[in-house]
Formats: sequence, structure tokens, C-alpha cells
Amino acid sequence: TLNVQTAELSLLVFPYTAHTAKKLFCFIPPLLSLSLSLSLSLSLKEHETRVGPTTGPHPRLQPTRRKNLEFEPLSTTGLILEDRPASLPAKSEEEAQRHRQEYNEMVAEAKRRELKDAQRKKRQMKERLKQEENIARAMLIWNTEVLPNWESMRNTRRVRELWWQGLPPSVRGRVWSLAIGNELNITPELYDIFLSRAKEKWRSFNETNSLSENEDCGTSLADRESSLDLIKLDIFRTFPSLYIFQRGGPYHDLLHSVLGAYTCYRPDVGYVQGMSFIAAVLILNLEEADAFIAFANLLNKPCQMAFFRVDHDLMLKYFAAFEVFFEENLPKLFQHFQTNSLTPDFYLIDWIFTLYSKSLPLDVACRVWDLFCRDGEEALFRTGLGILRLYQDVLLQMDFIHSAQFLSRLPENTPAHTLFSCINNTHMISSNRRWNQVFSALMKDGPKEADKVGSPALRS
Amino acid sequence: MAYAYLFKYIIIGDTGVGKSCLLLQFTDKRFQPVHDLTIGVEFGARMITIDGKQIKLQIWDTAGQESFRSITRSYYRGAAGALLVYDITRRDTFNHLTTWLEDARQHSNSNMVIMLIGNKSDLESRREVKKEEGEAFAREHGLIFMETSAKTASNVEEAFINTAKEIYEKIQEGVFDINNEANGIKIGPQHAATNSSLAGGQGGQQAGGGCC
Repeated sequence: TLNVQTAELSLLVFPYTAHTAKKLFCFIPPLLSLSLSLSLSLSLKEHETRVGPTTGPHPRLQPTRRKNLEFEPLSTTGLILEDRPASLPAKSEEEAQRHRQEYNEMVAEAKRRELKDAQRKKRQMKERLKQEENIARAMLIWNTEVLPNWESMRNTRRVRELWWQGLPPSVRGRVWSLAIGNELNITPELYDIFLSRAKEKWRSFNETNSLSENEDCGTSLADRESSLDLIKLDIFRTFPSLYIFQRGGPYHDLLHSVLGAYTCYRPDVGYVQGMSFIAAVLILNLEEADAFIAFANLLNKPCQMAFFRVDHDLMLKYFAAFEVFFEENLPKLFQHFQTNSLTPDFYLIDWIFTLYSKSLPLDVACRVWDLFCRDGEEALFRTGLGILRLYQDVLLQMDFIHSAQFLSRLPENTPAHTLFSCINNTHMISSNRRWNQVFSALMKDGPKEADKVGSPALRS
Repeated sequence: MAYAYLFKYIIIGDTGVGKSCLLLQFTDKRFQPVHDLTIGVEFGARMITIDGKQIKLQIWDTAGQESFRSITRSYYRGAAGALLVYDITRRDTFNHLTTWLEDARQHSNSNMVIMLIGNKSDLESRREVKKEEGEAFAREHGLIFMETSAKTASNVEEAFINTAKEIYEKIQEGVFDINNEANGIKIGPQHAATNSSLAGGQGGQQAGGGCC
């Protein structure tokens, strides 16, 4: 406690800013810090009333004797470092020496911390500047070299490496559109047609709705759920924290339109939960009609079709292929999950249905989308393994329920660069076979191999 | 934390009836007016005390959309209790109860305790389903019934705990074979040893008594 008292004293005696004072407390055990900060605020108050508020750090570094002080400390604890009152026995030379030394060490420590802090801030600033420069440079390359020569350049090593760094936000939508392609040949006019069809349906729904409330007509209400009405229910539950898709938010109607038009375009698929997240991310990066075109084409990819049609057998194949690479890359965690019966469906369903946009921070999710646009479905499963690698140590300590909870809501501060180095360290090669080969082998094998490694939870 | 039993619950019902909000209210004692969509399944856990025994509830909160039914079905297995939820302000969610019940009965073990819950009881002015209708449905199908509000927390605690009490009684009556995990009941780690020796000596039925 001596340290504590001396720290307090030094604050009283020397006009440090509260900021410096806080740092002085950094090396005090946390239990003490509460009572300390209380006495600190008192001491500072005292000090301020006497010499006025301090404006900046102007520490007087020489150990000062009481007679040199500009004011008299009021607090009795303040007396401890100083010579004791005449009525008490004087400090021994040894004790006074020790107090001086401890005090000096604290001041030196505070200075060192401040210096380190300043250096850190400088580094951060430099880092940010460098990042901005990189983005500007990348943007220039994308705009002047890559985009005008898309087909010939998209698969070059240089472009792929540039792509891996993440797409500059200003070209992101453009690149996604090009990479997803438009093999369905949807035009903006076609979008308008389906949108007006959707609007027509909404109108008639509203009419039957008011009717059925009086008539209590079960069937019309029953198919209401499977229809456009469900979209309404889900829009405000899509990225609720962003406040842009909620009623009255700038993108509410847009999201409604894109999803509504899709259910009219593909009544065989309809609206399936999870789609609102995908459409929302696209809307954030593309104009309305382009967002719809990318949306419809993206959902038309085999993996997305398998999931959004909830085709169990196919989903099992994807899970089985995932587990092949899981065991290959992270054998320890794979074993741990097996022991705890944590099968991939518990986390992959959420991740794949929303393309990570629900469970990862949005900016990180966008980088995952970048990779997905570059490498296709393989990137989705590789990202999953990257996440498991990143959090392997934590997950190995968790039981079934905690792991499942953790994986469905990943830490908000999941940093893009560490996740991407984990993805980079994830190799999608198993016994010389790439993802596509493993997956098609599983498809050929029929249900047997899928059963062997597949999710028992889905095998009902 | 040590527990005498672990019960697995599953929460089912149409999308948007407040399944995740009920779970959040029960596990975290808070209400989130705008809850994220549930895709697939999410989880919650809480410890409760019944008859002086610590019981851990492991709760599986499922996606409500029709399309996900085939996924949800596989999660019934090994559940000791189910909360079947509808929204008292949306009649269609009440009309769908029969298909939910069929699903639940078909894919779960026959002893699963089902609690019917009419949620959003705070929205009295928008009520579309009378309390008596809920009661009648529950009576007809042999379910326990309660109206709850995840928003005001009214009856939320009771819904989860009464379900557990019913399961606990069934254990006492020897209806559940607690050594078969497919019933959704697990014996706590520190009890397991005593129980297995008991079970070895006197047969499975006695095992439930070994928790003290």
C-alpha cells in the first residue's frame, strides 16, 4: 500500500493532468484502483481549487521537498512521502530514500508509457495512411487496367493477388457483378416486370387480408406465410443494428422490392429466410436493378440453390466435403467437435445461408464475399475453416452448447487481417484432391460416404 | 456448474412469433424489440432449481419458416421438452399449430412434454386469438398452456420452469428412462458415477434417486 500512497501523493504534489495520473495507476493492482480513483479525484479537486485547472503535462521531475511546494497538501496521506510533522518521529533516511526512489520510478514509468503511447498512435496513423494509399492505388489499377480488360485479366496472378487484399469499396459492386455474371440474362426491364407483378400481388394481398379478417378464412391466411407477406416480417429483422432496412429507413423499400421481385421471378424457390441478408449486402453495394441481377444469379449457383431449396441430400454432401478438409486442416478441433457431437449443420447452415453476413462484422463479411466472387463456393468453406482455425484455441476449451453459441455469433472485433491469414493457412487439398474433386467424388458415391462423415443431426 | 439433470428443450412455431425473444428473456432477462432472424438453430442455457435440485436447461431455438421444417425435424430427437409457440396477434400462427404438433409428435420421443405458448400477451389490443381458444386446443391435445409476453417477461419464467417440473415428475414416476439420452435427459457429471453403480445393483428405475 505504500506505493499507492506515494502515487496519491505525487498527484497531489505535482500538477499532472488527470490523464497522466490515470496512467500512473496502471501498475496498481485492480482491487485498489477503485478506492484510489476516488481519492485521486478528491486530491485533484483539492489541487485544482488551489492552483487552478491544469492545462497540460508539465511535470516537475526533481524530487521536491515540502518547502518547495506551491501549496500545502491537505490530505493526511499526502504527508507520507514528505517529512513527517514535527510532532511525529521523523522518517529514517533509509525510508525517505526508498520513498524518493519509488516515486522516481513511477514518474519514469509514466513517462515511458506516454512515449510508448505516442509512438503507437503515430504508428497507427502511419498504418492508416498507408492503407488509404493502398486503397487509392488499388482503385486506380481496378479502374484503369482490370475493369476495362475484365475477361483477359480476371484470372491473372496479379489481379488475383490484388483481389485477395480486398476490393476497394468504390469498385466492389462492379467487380461482384462481373464475377457473379449474368448467365440468366436478366435485364433491368425484366426486373421492372417482376417488380410490378410483385406490387400487384401485394395490393391484392392487402385486399384479401382485410376480407379474411372478417371471414376468418384459414386457407388464404395459410398461404400468406409462404408468400410475400413473410418478406415484410423479415425486412426489419435484417441488419437491425444498421437502421437502414427498417420501416422508414432509406433502403427498406428497396430490399422489399428486390425480394418481392425475386419471388415472382422464381416462384419455385420463393422467399427463403437468409435471402434478405444477401439482398441487403448487394443493395449496399449496387444499384437496384444490378442488385437484383446479381442476387438472382448468385442464388442460381449450385451451392446456393442446394441450400435455399433446403435440399437435404445435397446439403449433406457439402457438409461431408467440408468435414474432409476440416479433418485435414484442423485434426485436433475436428476430433473435439466429434466428441461433442458438434456437426457442421449447427454453424454452416447460418454461415452459408447468409454468406457470413449475419455472423461476421459486415466489413469482414464483404471481404469474404470478395473471396467468394474470386474463388466460388470453395471460398465459403475455406472461410469457415479459417474461422475455426482463428478460434481453435477458444473452441477447444468449450463444450457443445458454448461452441455452437460462439460460432453463431462470432466476436464483433474479429479482425479481417488475422482471419484472412487463417484462411490463407487453410489448404483446400486433401490427398491431392481439390474441393471440386472431393465434392464430385461424394456425389458419385451416393449417400454412403456422406453418411460416414455427415451430420447425424440431418440424417433423419 | 454442477447439475443433477440436464434437460434438452426445443422451441418451435411459426416465424416471427417470438421464439428467440422468449429464449433471450429467459436466459438473459432482457427483451430485444428487433431480434435477428434465426437461421437453422441457435442455443441458450440456464440453470434452474426444482425440488432443491439443480437442473440445467439446454434450449434449442429453431427457425420458424416452413422451408426449414425438414431441418428442424432432425432437432426434435433427444428433446425432453418442447415449447410450441404461437402469436396471439396473428391467427395464422395459431392455425398452423396442428401441423407443428404432428411434426413434433412424429419426430420426438413419445414422452416429450409439450407446452403450448400464446406469446405477445402484452398486445391485448391487437389480439386475434382468444385465451380460451388456446386453452381449448391445449386440453384437446393434452398440452400444458400459458400465455406469455417476452416483452414484459410475464409468465416466461413459469413457462420454462413448469415444463421442467412436468419432466421432473415424469422422471420421479419412472416414465423417462434417464439412462437413455435419446429422452433428452442427462444426469449431471457428479451424479453419474453413483447412478451407474446404483443402476448396476438395482436396475435402471432407481437411478433417479441418486441425486443429493
